[in-house]
Amino acid sequence: MAELYVKPGNKERGWNDPPQFSYGLQTQAGGPKRNPLTKRVAAPQDGSPRVPTSETSPGPPPMGLPPPSSKSSRPPAMGTCPAPTVEPTDLPVTECETLLEDVLRPLEQALDDCHGHTKKQVCDDISRRLALLQEQWVGGKLSTPVKKRMALLVQELSNHRWDAADDIHRSLMVDHVTEVSQWMVGVKRLIAEKRSLSSEETATATTEENQTTPGVQQDP
Amino acid sequence: MATYLEFIQQNEERDGVRFSWNVWPSSRLEATRMVVPLACLLTPLKERLDLPPVQYEPVLCSRPTCKAILNPLCQVDYRAKLWACNFCFQRNQFPPAYTGISEVNQPAELMPQFSTIEYVIQRGPQSPLIFLYVVDTCLEEDDLQALKESLQMSLSLLPPDALVGLITFGRMVQVHELSCEGISKSYVFRGTKDLTAKQIQDMLGLTKPAMPMQQARPAQPKEHPFVSSRFLQPVHKIDMNLTDLLGELQRDPWPVTQGKRPLRSTGVALSIAVGLLEGTFPNTGARIMLFTGGPPTQGPGMVVGDELKVPIRSWHDIEKDNARLMKKATKHYEMLANRTAANGHCIDIYACALDQSGLLEMKCCANLTGGYMVMGDSFNTSLFKQTFQRIFSKDFNGDFRMAFGATLEVKTSRELKIAGAIGPCVSLNVKGPCVSENELGVGGTSQWKICGLDPTTTLGIYFEVVNQHNAPIPQGGRGAIQFVTQYQHSSTQRRIRVTTIARNWADAQSQLKHIEAAFDQEAAAVLMARLGVFRAESEEGPDVLRWLDRQLIRLCQKFGQYNKEDATSFRLSESFSLYPQFMFHLRRSPFLQVFNNSPDESSYYRHHFARQDLTQSLIMIQPILYSYSFHGPPEPVLLDSSSILADRILLMDTFFQIVIYLGETIAQWRKAGYQDMPEYENFKHLLQAPLDDAQDILQARFPMPRYIHTEHGGSQARFLLSKVNPSQTHNNLYAWGQESGAPILTDDVSLQVFMDHLKKLAVSSAS
Repeated sequence: MAELYVKPGNKERGWNDPPQFSYGLQTQAGGPKRNPLTKRVAAPQDGSPRVPTSETSPGPPPMGLPPPSSKSSRPPAMGTCPAPTVEPTDLPVTECETLLEDVLRPLEQALDDCHGHTKKQVCDDISRRLALLQEQWVGGKLSTPVKKRMALLVQELSNHRWDAADDIHRSLMVDHVTEVSQWMVGVKRLIAEKRSLSSEETATATTEENQTTPGVQQDP
Repeated sequence: MATYLEFIQQNEERDGVRFSWNVWPSSRLEATRMVVPLACLLTPLKERLDLPPVQYEPVLCSRPTCKAILNPLCQVDYRAKLWACNFCFQRNQFPPAYTGISEVNQPAELMPQFSTIEYVIQRGPQSPLIFLYVVDTCLEEDDLQALKESLQMSLSLLPPDALVGLITFGRMVQVHELSCEGISKSYVFRGTKDLTAKQIQDMLGLTKPAMPMQQARPAQPKEHPFVSSRFLQPVHKIDMNLTDLLGELQRDPWPVTQGKRPLRSTGVALSIAVGLLEGTFPNTGARIMLFTGGPPTQGPGMVVGDELKVPIRSWHDIEKDNARLMKKATKHYEMLANRTAANGHCIDIYACALDQSGLLEMKCCANLTGGYMVMGDSFNTSLFKQTFQRIFSKDFNGDFRMAFGATLEVKTSRELKIAGAIGPCVSLNVKGPCVSENELGVGGTSQWKICGLDPTTTLGIYFEVVNQHNAPIPQGGRGAIQFVTQYQHSSTQRRIRVTTIARNWADAQSQLKHIEAAFDQEAAAVLMARLGVFRAESEEGPDVLRWLDRQLIRLCQKFGQYNKEDATSFRLSESFSLYPQFMFHLRRSPFLQVFNNSPDESSYYRHHFARQDLTQSLIMIQPILYSYSFHGPPEPVLLDSSSILADRILLMDTFFQIVIYLGETIAQWRKAGYQDMPEYENFKHLLQAPLDDAQDILQARFPMPRYIHTEHGGSQARFLLSKVNPSQTHNNLYAWGQESGAPILTDDVSLQVFMDHLKKLAVSSAS
């Protein structure tokens, strides 16, 4: 599950800047789309409009009417995201703080696994970036959502769910690029190396299996 | 099918085609009298959830001048295993693989539901996608930082085996060598001197054949065939180094003194980018992505000098023939655009600056190659960041929504000829019997090249009926057109999408009613608008408006019902009823009116108008207006000043802007804070409803529109007021007897006045 939020655009720098959607919302395609707003009213042929008038007097708004939203006809898929004007909310704060150890150790372990498989220079590069991650974490430069999502990423990595881990990495790059851009690419590379190592191991395993039963291969 | 509306919708969904006429007049003379040409909007790669590609190659007609593709309209003799081409009537033998076919065992391409079908071509080399970033470093610190982060982020969104390269420019142009080891190197070029492709390739050491285009052996493990280019490397190999390289990018170090613009060598930088790809990867899908924060100020392609006291050209300067550098710069970029198109590459322009940045001169780079054009205020905005992210969005299959190097070929039955196309394409100059001598748009060919396209890219294609007057209705009673789009899919496969359609002929004298009923006024409006905008690029504005007006009057004369000289008797049938109001709003649109827009803005608006599909194009012509109130569910309302009422919230979509406008009473209620009181929760919902709907639009739109939240009396209410029909103005306000709606302070004619004049002219025997 990626983060789902909308935050306001940068009105300082961009005139009428639109709100910004999180990676989760951007990629949350699919699902039945509501009827898009594309209807038009034809002007009467003489071109002169009917003259509708305001029916509400400028007192207080009427109470208790059903909400006149077109939402009733839509699936509740968007229910998780607050209104465009709302600041991004952190995921519900759970009591336990994510620990650096829990994130860093599995990553380092994964890196150790890759030694021998991966070029030394690449390993050094990854290691440098993990150090950077550690430094920023310890220095208090990382926000809670980033730490939480890193913990999730590490879990997926440990469970060999490469695509899921890669997707979390992407969501972090899109949503929190300023915080993570320097070191995340090391994590990205680590996921890729671990994935290729694991597929190689599987391949070797199958070859070995095949070799123990040569008869299978010789079958026409 | 019950109605033409349903027929039109079904055809659009299945084939990505909308025709101006869905029953065709059977003679040349009658066709010209229809005023609106026989034409269609074609979305060649329209997203189809239910169209898995077939894994074999199409069967072609054996006549060398025809080569049409076997389709459901062909007559098949299952016993003799023969098929007759429906375009040239050649009889063809089926290839050996088709020996098993019969009435009950048909290949997909013969089934009527596969009037659109896609083939995957297995042979030929598969080459990775290529992304070459060309980055302006004459930016403010804040902007450069944001851009660097967006570029770093993009490395995570690119396919891992895509090749990526980096060129940076300011006063000098640097081509960065990308390697995994050692220190980073770059080649530095002066920004003032244009170099030929050969010189660039020599200087970069690319002259030795850099591309061993070996026969693609599918199982080629380790060694990548393309390692030789030091400037373009697979993302998965150099992502870490490129991230560092981008992170270390500095602003252009040359000092910029007071009163000067930074020296920006955009022209040379683009020239080097084009030359680099030309020498290394011709005819392979590639995107040159230019990120720039201001106008080119030196060297070839310079748009304005570095003296700030000399402002960049305006429409006024252009009209007075006072835009000294414009022609020369335009020529430079056109030369580059044509070379790029010939190589099958595309150029995107991401221009983020508060002032103009030379889009007018550079527009051909995107327009001729199918690249994107994005205009924003700063790279540090959500508008840029999200638009950029959406370039890399994926479809439901997990494939990127981008395709490259397409050629579109159009084949017609004998009674039709092809007059031209308007869209992000260039002519391939393929003459043939089905090419008309009369050009509409880019004509004189039956094939066009579209170097970059996505599932919404839409071309207008114009035809001419050539059947002689009084000749009988052609054999079979139907005319046919085949569209063949060959392209490189984002998965790097070569694919061919084939759409074959047919429509009935009708005799315009005895069966005019049929023709009339099958008129698609939405498609016609967009197709005529494209013709108008195409003309506006080369003709004076007023001439284009006069031409549009004349066409509209002639159309009303032909299809209106009226008594001569009696304007009050004038009526249009339902299938034409919206057309005049589309033309009214088109006349006021920024595509034809340059007043209040800079030349860059006009170029930007026109760029998008020439490539979007029908729905989006129509939104651009006549914006959508929805009303939210306590009187019922949200409903579309007239785009008219009378729709602006105190107790309504309005949501307007102009494609480039989303405007939410609170009526006077609503704004007062909000100010009083009713939405925060639990007993007025419904008011809170009312305020929220348009925001939710706007969000849906924002999430789907490319490029990101500007988002304006305003209210009665707010200065930004002008965006709404300038788009609605000014039915009430300061001149006629009291004629209505009551104060309702919002009077617009304008002397522009209203739709009512426009219609009155139109009717008078239509019924007049003089015109």
